[in-house]
Amino acid sequence: MKKALCLTLALVMIFALAVSGMAYAEEDTIKIGYIGDLSQGTALWGNAGKFGAMEAIEEINAAGGVLGGKKLELVPMDGKGDSADSVNALRKLITDNGIVAEIGTNFSSCNIPMASVADELKVPIIGTAASNELVTIDEQGKLHPYSFRMCFLDAYIGTVVGTYATKDLGFTKGALFTINGDTNSEAVGQFIEDAFLANGGELVAKEQCQAGDREFRAQLAKIKRADPEVIFVVMNDYAMNATFAKQAREMDIKCMLLGHDGWDSDQLAEEAQGALDGCQFVSRIGFAMPEAREFGEKIVAKYGGTLETECLFGRDGVYWIADAIERAGSADPTAIRDALEATDVYNGLIGQLVMNAETHNPVMACEVFEFQTNADGTHVKVPVKTVEAVTD
Amino acid sequence: MFLQQLITGISIGGIYALLATGYSLIYSLLDFSNWAHGEFAMLGAYVAIVFANMVGVPFLIAAVLGVCGAALISFFCEKVVYRHIRSTGAPNMFLMIGAMGMSTIFQQVANLVFTGQYRSFKFKLPVNTIEIAGAYLGVLDLISLVLTAVILVFLMYLINKTKFGLNVRAIACNAYAARVLGVRVDRSIASVFLLAGSLAGVAGILYGMKYNVFPTMGNIGLKAFVASVVGGLGSVPGAIVGSLLLGVLETFVSGYVSSSLRDFFSFALLIVLLLVKPSGLFGVDVQDKA
Repeated sequence: MKKALCLTLALVMIFALAVSGMAYAEEDTIKIGYIGDLSQGTALWGNAGKFGAMEAIEEINAAGGVLGGKKLELVPMDGKGDSADSVNALRKLITDNGIVAEIGTNFSSCNIPMASVADELKVPIIGTAASNELVTIDEQGKLHPYSFRMCFLDAYIGTVVGTYATKDLGFTKGALFTINGDTNSEAVGQFIEDAFLANGGELVAKEQCQAGDREFRAQLAKIKRADPEVIFVVMNDYAMNATFAKQAREMDIKCMLLGHDGWDSDQLAEEAQGALDGCQFVSRIGFAMPEAREFGEKIVAKYGGTLETECLFGRDGVYWIADAIERAGSADPTAIRDALEATDVYNGLIGQLVMNAETHNPVMACEVFEFQTNADGTHVKVPVKTVEAVTD
Repeated sequence: MFLQQLITGISIGGIYALLATGYSLIYSLLDFSNWAHGEFAMLGAYVAIVFANMVGVPFLIAAVLGVCGAALISFFCEKVVYRHIRSTGAPNMFLMIGAMGMSTIFQQVANLVFTGQYRSFKFKLPVNTIEIAGAYLGVLDLISLVLTAVILVFLMYLINKTKFGLNVRAIACNAYAARVLGVRVDRSIASVFLLAGSLAGVAGILYGMKYNVFPTMGNIGLKAFVASVVGGLGSVPGAIVGSLLLGVLETFVSGYVSSSLRDFFSFALLIVLLLVKPSGLFGVDVQDKA
């Protein structure tokens, strides 16, 4: 009996030693969380962001890590593009996994509730393409101190698209197509409308669909009757955008379809089968830069999938956090937050972000992309024009 | 614009009809709504996409394999789950609960295996269109409409003019009497599941070709179910008429009122019909119907 007790105690001590040793070893690793849709309809983007972040961490670790040799580790978690799942994932990452900062998601609907959790648990989070104003500033106009973002606001992109349509393309008769109840779609649509009207344009048709719809011909018939020169199509789902374009062309609607950054997916060109040829969208510079394209192609070659801007967000998020850790001289979440807030300009592969410490909202130059079909039958998007950042 | 909306509505209704007839056939025999029916369409589309895109067989063969796949999945669901529940003498509600469970399981399995990402067939028809009196119809829509019409005419023939159809109708009237008179009830029911599954497979592949294939695409089954209730649960002609009616109604509401109110009108039609004519347009018996 005594022997068994001694043996048990010895085993417990060995186990305790091993665990404390592991804990000590883990102190040299700084964990960064990543939340995105990794399994549902928009997993294309969530996984692209994850792969970009993984690659950045590999690069940083290979170059010696941060704070004189500490390694970074990415802890990804599936938020399924759902607000409740994303909030739960963030709580788990902070309380169970001990992350010091988090990257993602690309959805405002997820990052708005996540911002309160980040404030409560005092760990900074960086939204990627989450563009609603409430991601960083609450409804009372108070800043979420721990919530940041790397994309432009709905107001910014909407104004750029509406202004570009009138001033650069010279359109005066437009139609607007948005998704009913979709925060991003309706907000961007409203800002496009405001800018289009403010610059002398006239909106001859305003139509909506419901999230997940695949049939747009009823609304397209009305749009066709209004005979617009341009249709602003404000949807984030590439499959919906491609179907919209194909149905428009099938109904002999030949005018330009103009989109926002929600169109920024390589899948869209392929799925639209040339129905978008000559059509344009305004988005972040990203792949218009050779180094960004090179990084994206490296991700595609290594992990598969298609060239998605989200991989640049994942990559830039990691580099921005690593930079903040170095400037703070610490991996303490609050010190990282302070360093993120103190950033004036961040030069990443998405483009140059001019940061605002009071709002945590960056402004950046935009790029206009146009869809084309190559001689070999492949469908591509090519950068055609840069729209400079408006910082005032 | 009216003709354009009408053509669009009929085109949407055609897809509903392929699914709604499956709901009706199964309801007519077993008096329950097979909630997993939309998922048979989804699985059939995935089977076709695996063969067409991954294995690399020609599209038409892949489509036939997809239809066979959906039919077999439907057949085995009946054999393994529904027949077992029936044999215990459990109320029909248990069949419906089993169907709901299978619907969720199939969606989750598709999600695990294929992820939630949209898939599309590598084989694509060109984005061409045909003009009919100022209205436009896509090539795929035309093919889809013709194929649906041929299949539904064949289905009506099968139900009304063959021995198989006679057996099915006999079981629908009184399964016990049919069994006493020598009809092999279980075999006929299994055949109906095979038939309904294959119809769902065709619907799934056409839907996948027109739009995309994804794990939750089977949710379109809800609209098909509404259509089959409108037409009269258990009535195949009713399911076809109900589907076309629903497709046209949805399109007209989207085109002339607001797309935001589309589902409001669809379900309002269902409720009004249940209040005014609970058996649906072609139904004859409402006792114990879901």
